[in-house]
Amino acid sequence: MEPVRVVDLGEVAPVRSQAVYHAVAYAMDEGTPDTVLLVTSSQPYVSIGYHQDAAREVDLEFCAAHGLPVVRREVGGGAVYLDRNQVFCQWIFQRQHLPARLEERFSLYVLPLVATYRRLGIDAYHRPVNDIQVAGRKIGGTGAASIGRSEVMVGSLMFDFDHELMARVLRVPSEKMRDKVVQGIRDYITTMRRELGDVPDRQQVLAVYLEETARALGRPLQPGQLTEREWEAAAELEERFSSEEWLHQKGGLRASGAVKIHADVHVAEATYKAPGGLVRATARIREGRIDDVSLSGDFTVLPAWAIGAIEQALRGLPLREDVLRQRVADVYRALAVEAPGLAPEDLTQALVALRGTVEGTP
Amino acid sequence: MGVYRACEIPETLYYDVERDVWVRLEADGTVTLGMTDPAQAQAGRIVNLTFKPVGRVLRRGQSAAIIESAKWVGPFPTPLTGEVVAVNEGFRRDPLLANKDPYGAGWLVRLRPTHLQEELRELLTGQEAFEAYARKIEERNVHCIRCAE
Repeated sequence: MEPVRVVDLGEVAPVRSQAVYHAVAYAMDEGTPDTVLLVTSSQPYVSIGYHQDAAREVDLEFCAAHGLPVVRREVGGGAVYLDRNQVFCQWIFQRQHLPARLEERFSLYVLPLVATYRRLGIDAYHRPVNDIQVAGRKIGGTGAASIGRSEVMVGSLMFDFDHELMARVLRVPSEKMRDKVVQGIRDYITTMRRELGDVPDRQQVLAVYLEETARALGRPLQPGQLTEREWEAAAELEERFSSEEWLHQKGGLRASGAVKIHADVHVAEATYKAPGGLVRATARIREGRIDDVSLSGDFTVLPAWAIGAIEQALRGLPLREDVLRQRVADVYRALAVEAPGLAPEDLTQALVALRGTVEGTP
Repeated sequence: MGVYRACEIPETLYYDVERDVWVRLEADGTVTLGMTDPAQAQAGRIVNLTFKPVGRVLRRGQSAAIIESAKWVGPFPTPLTGEVVAVNEGFRRDPLLANKDPYGAGWLVRLRPTHLQEELRELLTGQEAFEAYARKIEERNVHCIRCAE
């Protein structure tokens, strides 16, 4: 089979780091070689998923005040803060040259990323469908899109990641939720710096990645350049991606309401109007179970520490109405909780409402 | 109804097997389009969808919607040229409609076709469609699965 073209663009402006792989995809014709693009953004920015509502998902005022561009991509998923500490590894292939099944496409795409981490001494593995993890922590996400006549796979090598800024650029309903997102990222996202204690050299890591990519594909790689036509397409896309119209394009049918940390971990918030006041449940959900939850609102509960006890007692429970109701009622009884207008059923309903915010939670 | 590896391929519909789209001819001269069972199974749980607006004229092959599943984004291409006369607003309440009922409640768009006679010849129906799909399902090693809720 024909060699795969490798184009290492080094560091480019934020909008170009997104536009360039779309450009290769849109410009693809029968003669375009399958391409692996390596690129890093020279400046920090926020990338949002194809269907996201920018104003609802991202704190646009914060981003504007800090000079962070916000760029919508034509790949799905959520908002992510990116900077010089990730190298994007983008595959733009002729459709028939990648497996037709999505699961197999991800397995192939993830293989050299995992192999690269392992050669660096990081015990990474593929967590299907499309996460890469190290001891339960995600080290970079991946995505797929069909654009023009090509299949596109995107992902990154995670040298380092800024937890605080990631959580800061998101628009979340409360600071409590933001704290949980920061904590969630800290607990469930990892990087090369964290695993190795230092950031390895970019060129060395990329050399390993390309070796492993050639091995995974069973095809030779050939360093190349983008064509004039591809650069023209990139320039057009950069203009579109920089426009207000594209940024504020109305999202899809609905927003999820939860922040996904990795395949099994979400942070979500839900509210429920109880007779005694509004109840807000902010929770980290892991594999459909409560990993950590805070209950707050304008209600009165005695003894004052009972809410803390209830929060503790809920950890590890599945988001199932009967189970939650039982546990809340047990704590109410055991502690002789007095809470006017806040029955166990009200807390139960606030918790059950979390389910609706997390995609895929039964 | 033809069923191959749990994938339903109703013989009464027309298919663009390559694009994974089914077509139903309506009595009023419009056509209804949707994702086939193998298409919804391969895309996985749909989380979001954007339709081309009603009134837009689409050429054969252009995308009538952009579909986002949990892991993938891609177009929903129309196999027929025509004007969009309706889109399925039901997805607003339930993005999983096509995952649950691809040939019924999960239809995507309705078009008023302008080149129906010539373009319909490119589509397959009946036993011929079933056999072509069975080959594709076999090649791609697809097993269909529907979302229950």
